[in-house]
Amino acid sequence: MQMWVKQSLRLFRHELKRGELTIICFAIVLAVATVFSLSGFSAQIKSALVNESTSFIAADRVLQSSRPANSELIAKADDFNLQLAEMMLFSSMVFAGDEMLLVSIKAVSGNYPLRGELLIKNASGPQSAPAPGSLWVEQSLLDKLKVKVGDNIELGAANFFIAGIVAKEPDASFSVFTNGPRVFLNLYDVPKTQVVQPGSRLTYRYLFAGEQQNIADYDNWLSPQVEDNQRWYDIKSQQSPLANALNRAEKFLSLASMLGIILAAVAVSVASRRYGQRHQPMVAVFKAMGANKSYIRNLYLLHWSSLSAFSIVIGLCVGFGIQYLALQYISSYLPANTSSDSLYPLFVAIITGLICACAFAIAPMKALISTPVLSIIRGFNGFDSKTRWFNQVPAFVAVFTLLVLFSRDLILSAVLMLSAAIVITVLLFLGRLLVNVGRKVGSGAGQSFHLAMANLKRRAKQNNVQLISFTIAIKLLLLMVVVRNDLIDEWQAQLPDNAPNQFLINVNAQQVPDVENFLNQQKIVSSGLYPIVRGRLTAINDEKLRKIASKEQEDGSNQGREGIGRELNMTWQQNLPSENVVTQGLWFSTSGNNAEVSVEAQIAQRLEINIGDQLTFQIGSEQIQVIATSIREVNWQSMQPNFYMIFNDGVLKDHPVTYITSLHVPPQSKRALQQFLNAYPTISVIDVDAMITQLRGVISQVSLAIEFILILVLIAGSLVLVAQVQASMEERERELAILRTLGAKGSLLRNSTLLEFVVLGVISGFLASIGMEAAVYYVQTNVFEMTASWHWQYWLLGMVLGGGFVGLIGLVSCRRLLKLSSLTLIRRTL
Amino acid sequence: MNITPEIILDCRGLTKTVVTGSSKAEEKHLTILQPIDLQVKSGESLAIIGASGSGKTTLLSILAGLDLPTSGEIYLKKQPMHSFDEEQRSKVRADHVGFIFQSFLLINSLTALENVMLPAELANADDAKEQAIAMLNNVGLGDRVEHYPGQLSGGEQQRVAIARAFISKPDILFADEPTGNLDSQTGETIIELLFALNKQQGTTLVLVTHDRELAQRCDRQLTMAGGQFVQQVNLMAEVS
Repeated sequence: MQMWVKQSLRLFRHELKRGELTIICFAIVLAVATVFSLSGFSAQIKSALVNESTSFIAADRVLQSSRPANSELIAKADDFNLQLAEMMLFSSMVFAGDEMLLVSIKAVSGNYPLRGELLIKNASGPQSAPAPGSLWVEQSLLDKLKVKVGDNIELGAANFFIAGIVAKEPDASFSVFTNGPRVFLNLYDVPKTQVVQPGSRLTYRYLFAGEQQNIADYDNWLSPQVEDNQRWYDIKSQQSPLANALNRAEKFLSLASMLGIILAAVAVSVASRRYGQRHQPMVAVFKAMGANKSYIRNLYLLHWSSLSAFSIVIGLCVGFGIQYLALQYISSYLPANTSSDSLYPLFVAIITGLICACAFAIAPMKALISTPVLSIIRGFNGFDSKTRWFNQVPAFVAVFTLLVLFSRDLILSAVLMLSAAIVITVLLFLGRLLVNVGRKVGSGAGQSFHLAMANLKRRAKQNNVQLISFTIAIKLLLLMVVVRNDLIDEWQAQLPDNAPNQFLINVNAQQVPDVENFLNQQKIVSSGLYPIVRGRLTAINDEKLRKIASKEQEDGSNQGREGIGRELNMTWQQNLPSENVVTQGLWFSTSGNNAEVSVEAQIAQRLEINIGDQLTFQIGSEQIQVIATSIREVNWQSMQPNFYMIFNDGVLKDHPVTYITSLHVPPQSKRALQQFLNAYPTISVIDVDAMITQLRGVISQVSLAIEFILILVLIAGSLVLVAQVQASMEERERELAILRTLGAKGSLLRNSTLLEFVVLGVISGFLASIGMEAAVYYVQTNVFEMTASWHWQYWLLGMVLGGGFVGLIGLVSCRRLLKLSSLTLIRRTL
Repeated sequence: MNITPEIILDCRGLTKTVVTGSSKAEEKHLTILQPIDLQVKSGESLAIIGASGSGKTTLLSILAGLDLPTSGEIYLKKQPMHSFDEEQRSKVRADHVGFIFQSFLLINSLTALENVMLPAELANADDAKEQAIAMLNNVGLGDRVEHYPGQLSGGEQQRVAIARAFISKPDILFADEPTGNLDSQTGETIIELLFALNKQQGTTLVLVTHDRELAQRCDRQLTMAGGQFVQQVNLMAEVS
């Protein structure tokens, strides 16, 4: 064996045993374990959530079309090993004796649904499609047609037997303006009903499910071929509250994990610098004894490689352990079939370890190997005097590569890196300024404070490095806490405990006082009764429209694809409804007598409606013309009746009107509501309780995942602080020895050490709060698309947390030193 | 018949000038060594003494091949060190030179035994371990071989350093204030040990010291001031 191999391994073994490599090992272990557990864990959570939530569209992917899709495209799914189910949606009348009712038909193939469960009352287990010749219907159909399970009803030219009542529909629509109760039919039976004629309004859906990779491959293949009248979507491209929550959660998980990686990288960088400095005397001695540069380079390359390999392996084990424990802890919240056999987290973690170990080691290692032999006589300068900006380039490139590798999002990674560079520059300036101010204040304060400030000032260069690390760590932690709280608050605000769970529709004008009385008696919270008039938008500024868009015209799609002559649900209101914000123009004034309309922003943009445009609506046989006086943004995710067109008072009053309201009906009032409604058979009730429960379940899972990741990031941040304090330990040891020799009392040394760390922590906390505010602004407005807000309360938290935590860590780390006798200190250091 | 000992170290007109000042405008040339001529014979012991700042440590660095002179020539074992690059000087050091430092400079992560083994290993000796044990026994630390430097007293650490310096049987040993960090009694013991080994191995000894007693043990004393020799005292009769 080569001598350098022997010496290198011996050195590694001894240093490891003696704990001299603990910090650097710990830093790499931390980076690898953080990445492994975070990416593994968030991948698991994501796949669990997507598994859970794909049941909302009954598939992984859906192709929706107003005409039958090209059969070759659909058949191709088989080549990608995907499951396929087909569905047709249309409205039709059903008849039972003298009774008739408009219903919403869903004709499904035998293997529907591909995700989620279709449950039928009194049937055991999940179902697929009704047997040919039979139907499954919603309870309200039975009530309205006065029929029961086992009776026959007519649909088009065929007679069907009611085989069961739908208890849970996986891809139920969130829209309250559905065309009547749901009826499930076997796709095979559609031709014999003869209701599908040329020109019939139909929606075809093709459902796909399969392995993630296969879905992605098929997506790549199919996407370019999707036509204008088709829509190709997954759960996340839906604009439902659930999709929104999922998208944000996924972004948060990625962001948190990326910040975890940055923190771990900072720890590696700090520790590798210390590693280099600590080995300088060794290199100088080797050189003095005649070892040449290549010998030393080989020796240290092997030493560093052994260290990296060892740390990466330990990091993987620790990361696996954390991930295992975390998944155990939340296993009850995850669907049973969640499994992530992806090797990507393992790959990313190993690459992270290697990149950290290489990139952060280049500059210190270069400086270490070039330690001048003369240092053994002249003394060691450390690396500070040799640090040049370009030496930091590999580290920056490494962090950037890691972020891109991990997030697969080039823009977010670039923004994070750029803001980090700006923050560091600003910090260097501000940090020095604050320490200088502190020094001036300190000169008038007590002895301990004076000494602490003098220490800070004297070690300005090293403190700048510490200040940057502390600030970045605290900033990232604050960012996580703030964003997490805002996200969860927003979700909860979206679905408060009293979120509407029932909608009453088709309430006629005579019934309004009775309904209002009933709601008051029962103290049921409602959105208020909104009048609805159905009408078509036919022209803008006398230009006739061939197509208009509306939200509710297509069952559950929520996208408002083109539709000719479809009716809109329109209302009138004197006051701007909550969850609506006027973005252009002015809301109706009370004095105006003109016919005015307020238009929802998205549809205004799509149809190019501007303030002052004249809109023509066809209501029944009558045409009305109104001026668009305002454009509103509407929170479609609120469980409230929302409208594209709101008119001012009086314009629609002479037209046939029905009313709608959303209610929060507590369980104890449900029976009373049922009894009340029995007296008003024409009022329809839509129960969205089940859907809300499902949504709430998903949101609580997401919140849990976010909390878990926050804890991991907190640990990563804390470890950066520990590594940083540890890195300055030798110098502190030397200073304490000098001060002790000069007769400084134990209490003075203890207090000044504590104060030094506390002041450093408070300054870091303050700077971190500024940085956090800027970062939160960006994240809220650009990543999560939320409204930006100030977070003053966290500024105080940042400073208290910074001062307290850094002070505590510093004191605990230095406690051993402070307890040593003067003689031991002097012998150890001088 | 007179046997003239070999000149192991030969310096002619050595000077050392350094540039001070942080900017070009503030640049100043500071002469640390005036032209110096010096010959050291094989087996001789030479003490260089002088006040702080007199240039003795700089001279030692150049003599040992750790630094280069600004001008002049220096031959160590007849090798022109002044024209060698760092790698070539390393080779000369590995083959011929040993060091003892004021701050011992032991590698804290290695045991006493492993510290002593290092130079022998660098010279690819097969029996590095046996040699190191023998050396440690020789300096009276046979029972401390597995101790780490941190577990040894200052005197013991310097003895390990001496064992490390002598293991490769250097032709010339340079010592920079070898007793500087030790109390006088321990210092005395170390001096005894150093000269005993010096005699035993016939090593040339060049040491820099403030310690008059230590200097007086040497064959020759050179006193430096302002970067040049101001006094030379021969304490021993020239070998004839």
